[in-house]
Amino acid sequence: MIHVEELQKQFGDLTAVGGVSFEARPGSIFGLLGPNGAGKSTTINCISGLLKPSAGRVSVMGHDVATDGPASRRQLGVVPQELALYEDLSARENLGYWGAAYGMRGDRLKRRIKEVLELTGLQDRAKEAVKNFSGGMKRRLNFACGIVHEPKALLLDEPTVGVDPQTRVRLLELVRSETDNGACVLYTTHYMEEAEAICDDLAIIDHGLIIAAGTLKELRAMMGERDLLRLTGTFEPNQVMEGIARLEDAELVQAEADTLTLSLANASARLSTVFQILNDAGSDIRETTLTQPSLESLFIKLTGKELRE
Amino acid sequence: MRFVWSTALKDWQRHRRDPVGLLMWIGIPILIGSLIIMASGGRGGVEPKVQLLVADVDDSFVSNALVAAMGQMGGLIETEPVTREDGQKIMDDGKASALLVIPEGFGLAFLEEKPTTLELLTNPSQQILPGIAEETLSILVDASFYAQRLVGEDLQSFAQGPSGGANTFPDTDIMQFSSKVNRIVDNVSNYLSPMIIALEKEPVVEPEDDDDDDINISLLFLPSILFMSLLFMAQGIALDLWTEKDQMTLRRVVTTPQNTVRFLSGKLLGGAGVMAMVCSITLIIGYAYFDLRLASLPLAILWSTLSGVLLMNLMMVIQVHAASRRGAGILTTAILFPLMMVGGSFFPFEAMPPWMVTFGKLTPNGWALSQLKLILFDDMTLTGLGKAFTGLVLVVAVLFAATARRLRSGFAQG
Repeated sequence: MIHVEELQKQFGDLTAVGGVSFEARPGSIFGLLGPNGAGKSTTINCISGLLKPSAGRVSVMGHDVATDGPASRRQLGVVPQELALYEDLSARENLGYWGAAYGMRGDRLKRRIKEVLELTGLQDRAKEAVKNFSGGMKRRLNFACGIVHEPKALLLDEPTVGVDPQTRVRLLELVRSETDNGACVLYTTHYMEEAEAICDDLAIIDHGLIIAAGTLKELRAMMGERDLLRLTGTFEPNQVMEGIARLEDAELVQAEADTLTLSLANASARLSTVFQILNDAGSDIRETTLTQPSLESLFIKLTGKELRE
Repeated sequence: MRFVWSTALKDWQRHRRDPVGLLMWIGIPILIGSLIIMASGGRGGVEPKVQLLVADVDDSFVSNALVAAMGQMGGLIETEPVTREDGQKIMDDGKASALLVIPEGFGLAFLEEKPTTLELLTNPSQQILPGIAEETLSILVDASFYAQRLVGEDLQSFAQGPSGGANTFPDTDIMQFSSKVNRIVDNVSNYLSPMIIALEKEPVVEPEDDDDDDINISLLFLPSILFMSLLFMAQGIALDLWTEKDQMTLRRVVTTPQNTVRFLSGKLLGGAGVMAMVCSITLIIGYAYFDLRLASLPLAILWSTLSGVLLMNLMMVIQVHAASRRGAGILTTAILFPLMMVGGSFFPFEAMPPWMVTFGKLTPNGWALSQLKLILFDDMTLTGLGKAFTGLVLVVAVLFAATARRLRSGFAQG
């Protein structure tokens, strides 16, 4: 179990994480979603021991990271966003070194290396220098190095960034297999569809704060059955607000001179009505985007901006 | 401790995969050493000697004694009797260092204390050897002056030859003369001593190394070349910390239960292993080539390796405090070459001016190098060895602590 309580991290005057709390359970994947710079990696780094929290408490499998660092890190596997491999060593040598870093040795280490190589499909290239590997193979080895010591808790920091679809599918399968074995996984990503596909519990983080948390079902319920209608063009915000107020079961999420975001049920059937109201309000619509209920639309609803901005 | 070992092993594996780098570390000192040995004639080559031609026109007892004295200056001067004409011809061909012409009547003038002149022609194409000849002759002339003052009468009688048609001088005359010379020297030693001291004050590069007379010039380059190699290796291995940082493996280490001290120890052990190998190869070749006493070889290898660890720590401290890999490279290179030049790792101290030698021996590599020379030439005392090892270990410990602190406090995380 990974327990984070009121975690804060400041870099001078900048608050990277401003009081984050959550709990990742064994046998499940906890997704930490947010745009770049939201505080995901800082949170991960505080858990893994790379950064010292400014305030709050973090524990891994009951071991406090601040007071019992080595014990907490012994339970933890980390798969960093960037490749962290010795390119001039072979896959087997890399796994051997990282396994030894967690105190593994002898037959146990050999057996585990063999298992992990098979799991990641690298057994045929085990003796080859990593520098000869493809990007996808390196990603899989990067993952393998994080799980070679059979960690009870696993931190995955955007492990699928920049990988091809085939490798992404393979990596997600590997993550799921770890939870099937009882591991507790904390998974950060800014790919909403990926989070929806794999995570059991989710927290949406922005500007160092968790703005929504719960199971996927709970978060979807926060959106209701409403679609998200995003329009760009020229708008008169005050007149638009008056017009939209007359529209039943609709909510104005964002109203600016060039962007308008509406949350409303059954939006596709009511588009002509919406256009008529906006036309009456003196608007000039250039582009319309309709998004069905999703984490993406929830994020937009909560923050007024897209996740990839 | 197991992680220290596996880190060292991992680095050895990485070095082994980079045979070009490894070969350069071993090859550079051997290549440079070979070139210098070839250039200086090697161990079996001709030792530099003053080729002094002597045209003894006088051919007297005194002139013969002067020539004999010149030939006994520690084998440094090789005299060759010639006629003035032949000597001039050889000098014109540039095949000798100097030509000494002893004019007719020199011996008589000397005994009668009359002014006389010795002529010394020097070879302008040679810089040092003619100077040695000139200086030696000057000393002998001074010595002759004092001899004339003290035992002039006896010398005159000896110059006239044995009395009564005998071929040799009677033993009693020889004994009386010897006793007199001994007594006079004893009486005037207080006055002569300052002069002796003045002579000994002539600039000598290594006053403490009295045995250097027996040391081949090429041998002086052996420790210098080894330390040049160690400095390059220290820089290369230290730069590997930036490689570990850039390829994110250092960050990964921080997320394991291991600490950065163990990791750093492993890297030092790995580096020390490579350095020990290079030192062993270089020193074994050097010992075999120069016929050095093998008993000091293990100590020389150990000292060189530990000195390499010291230099590696020094480079690591600099590297981890630099803002970027590029900055670290520039900074260490900017420090490396002056250290190499001043610290006797390029040219031996023996070829450097005294003020630079004094300064150079204060540099880490210069200090360690001078200790290695003491080991190589069997001049190291047990006390000196103890002090040297203690000093080295203390400096290594301080530098290691500074590097480890920096690793913990931001280098690994950044």
